[in-house]
Amino acid sequence: MLSAQDNEMITRTGPGTPMGEYLRRFWMPALLSEEIAEPDSPPVRVKILNEELIAFRDTNGDVGIIDNFCPHRRASLFFGRNEECGLRCVYHGWKFNTKGDCVDMPSEPAESNFKDKVKIKAYPAEDWGGYIWAYMGPAESMPELPEVGWAMVPESHRKVSRRLQENNFVQGIEGGIDSSHISFLHFGLPPVLRDDPAKKAQTLSNADSAPHFIVKTTDYGFVYGANREAENNSYYWRLTPFMLPFFTVIPGGSGNPDERTYSGHGWVPADDESCWMFTYSWNTSRPLNEGEGHGASFLEKEPRTMRAVMNKDNDYGIDREVQRTKTFTGIESISVQDSGIQESMGAICDRTKEHLGTSDSAVIAMRRMYLQGCRDLLEGKEPFVPMKGSAYRVRSVADVMDKKVTFEETAEKVAVGAA
Amino acid sequence: MLNAQDNQHVTQTGPGTPMGELMRRYWIPALLSWELAEPDGTPVRVKLLGEELIAFKDTDGRIGLIDNYCPHRRASLFFGRNEECGLRCVYHGWKFDVDGNCVDMPSEPAESNFKDKVKVLAYPCMDMGGVVWTYMGPLEHQPPPPLFEWTQVVETHRAVNKVLQESNWLQGLEGGVDSVHASYLHNNDIANTTRYESRSAAPSIEVEPTDYGYAYGSVRHLSKEEGNFVRAYQFIMPFTQLRPDDRRESSASPKVAGHMWVPIDDEHHFVWNFVYSLGDEPLTEADKAKHSDLAYEVIDINNGFRCIWNADNDYGIDREVQRTQTFTGILADARVGANLQDRGIQESMGTIVDRTREHLATTDRAIIATRRMLQEAANIVGDGGTPRGTGPSYYKVRSIQRVLPVDVPWQEGMKGLLFEGAEYSPIMQ
Repeated sequence: MLSAQDNEMITRTGPGTPMGEYLRRFWMPALLSEEIAEPDSPPVRVKILNEELIAFRDTNGDVGIIDNFCPHRRASLFFGRNEECGLRCVYHGWKFNTKGDCVDMPSEPAESNFKDKVKIKAYPAEDWGGYIWAYMGPAESMPELPEVGWAMVPESHRKVSRRLQENNFVQGIEGGIDSSHISFLHFGLPPVLRDDPAKKAQTLSNADSAPHFIVKTTDYGFVYGANREAENNSYYWRLTPFMLPFFTVIPGGSGNPDERTYSGHGWVPADDESCWMFTYSWNTSRPLNEGEGHGASFLEKEPRTMRAVMNKDNDYGIDREVQRTKTFTGIESISVQDSGIQESMGAICDRTKEHLGTSDSAVIAMRRMYLQGCRDLLEGKEPFVPMKGSAYRVRSVADVMDKKVTFEETAEKVAVGAA
Repeated sequence: MLNAQDNQHVTQTGPGTPMGELMRRYWIPALLSWELAEPDGTPVRVKLLGEELIAFKDTDGRIGLIDNYCPHRRASLFFGRNEECGLRCVYHGWKFDVDGNCVDMPSEPAESNFKDKVKVLAYPCMDMGGVVWTYMGPLEHQPPPPLFEWTQVVETHRAVNKVLQESNWLQGLEGGVDSVHASYLHNNDIANTTRYESRSAAPSIEVEPTDYGYAYGSVRHLSKEEGNFVRAYQFIMPFTQLRPDDRRESSASPKVAGHMWVPIDDEHHFVWNFVYSLGDEPLTEADKAKHSDLAYEVIDINNGFRCIWNADNDYGIDREVQRTQTFTGILADARVGANLQDRGIQESMGTIVDRTREHLATTDRAIIATRRMLQEAANIVGDGGTPRGTGPSYYKVRSIQRVLPVDVPWQEGMKGLLFEGAEYSPIMQ
């Protein structure tokens, strides 16, 4: 449970809000590189942290992320002409480069120097790991680009995507660091158990028999996980890293950890009532196969809004007969099961009315980190931010290990190091 | 730039707001005449200056514009029965005439005189030039009828229509008194460098205040030998623009076009488009297209007069056309003219543009003059005075375009054409 004030604090991300200022200390994924693949290609609307922005790639291939609104009369630069190293407003021809300088103002007399006095808001932008990242915070606090797994492999070795979710970003993260819902929300009832309530309950609890999650603070955020009994005096460990400010890597796969395909999500606030779920999958050792990667990357979306075709307007396509006989929810895709249940809490979940259990320990840890970051800023202190990109070289663990191996030792396996 | 308070002051038009009270001192276009074609026809919802109203034509052909809400229990009169010289509420049968009198109250005992005590809000209307006009202000200040020249010419010489714009009305007006953007937004042939607007893309904007508003010239210098290309516009308080017809070849028999930007509420308005012919020649189909019923091929009259290209589909922008042919890639065919480009760019500023964050330049002089004039007039009304443009001085004003010698100021060179109408005699009704 959070107080109403704390709930406000962690969910509001506009300029000047504590959480907004905290998140502005990190590089934010803004859009996919492929959305502005070509030099001088059409500009793309980007709304992040409650700011309406426009992304474009100029003639030289440099990326600009600038204010949506032309500083002259506030027309949208979405309609702009992307040409000759700048984005030109179609209303009166004012033109801006990726740094935000006004490089042409043809509507004013030739002798005017007004263009030298006008700038447009522009954020540092980097094309990195299939995403365009923006840094929207103070220049002196800028960290290194995070060396996340999918950015450290060739393009052929990764799959990335984004989609709109119609709820506050914290709800998204809370779903991402809550492994215990896997046994329920994403559970498909085995046919043999459908009509036997006792066996059904037993199977559900067996699906994850270790409700006690352990959380360990790390130099990238924290890692959390749990073990459960396996054969031959061993435990099956599942560990999820949480990389500040909102990235996860889902435990899964088997075999050599260096050869697995890993996936995860990050939730970037669009405004306070919607967010962008960025999804990534990567394999260090080989190119991904056709169709390989997290299911969220293959979801059918409305191309203009990037909203899933299965959404709240159609109750996520719930099929009550399927729910009764085959799956826990009756909703088809795992990714839609997540967004559906998260959106169902309301645009901003009222955390004064929740009741957290022991399996919610990672959720609690995440909120504490956020609140600490906010409070530090309110006290004029710089909050903790991983400044070194190499801190982000992490992956998940899903392995059977001898019982002598401790959680601490298992957690070490999450960090891949600077290899 | 305006501060936040001034931005509210110039944009909000609900009852009791300074700008709303100013607008309530003029005749306002409420709906198209054809929307109320038949006596006892279907009532029509009308929203003006934030007020929800119902228009109907009674058995005798008189037009009523009354409160949407029945004064009894506030049911909408849109569902009313339009019969025997009055609109009857379908909830309890109360009936109102075009003047707002309750003429029947069958749900009360016959001996009751309650109906004589109840009235519904009703505004005076007049049907002229294809438009039903209304006056929503204090009756003692009702101005003379809006005899714009275009409303007085014979029907073959004029055309009018309207389209929904999903932004505050002032964004529309500000676009309409900014002829600078013609060089950019409306450059529909980027390869053609001979267009006057392309040759001279930073015009001088010169504003001449009058007692009805102002005239302004956008002066584009071509060359010493050729002279200056001048388009002279009229701004008539509080929201009417007159401009020379865009098509150069029509100058033998000139046409004047214009817009009125009429607030629906603070986040929507109707853009009224009209055109008329000054000489003997009636309007051709081409003259009329975007100003007439022909535009309803792409303006959905069954969806609140919203254009089929709108914010939901990015106004149909075609990026390949934008790259190779036109400045915007937004369509400008005969049915939409330049208006779709205007609407798209104005709506893109947000429903009410944040004028605290703009940067006005020298070419925005007419916009600055408009805001000052509106604020001044609102203050005059607030102080109990009479604002500009409520007298008949605008009846004969026109717009014109000419190439003038460089040493002839447009105010002199066009005087007779702009203010007296001497050179051409329109065929009046």
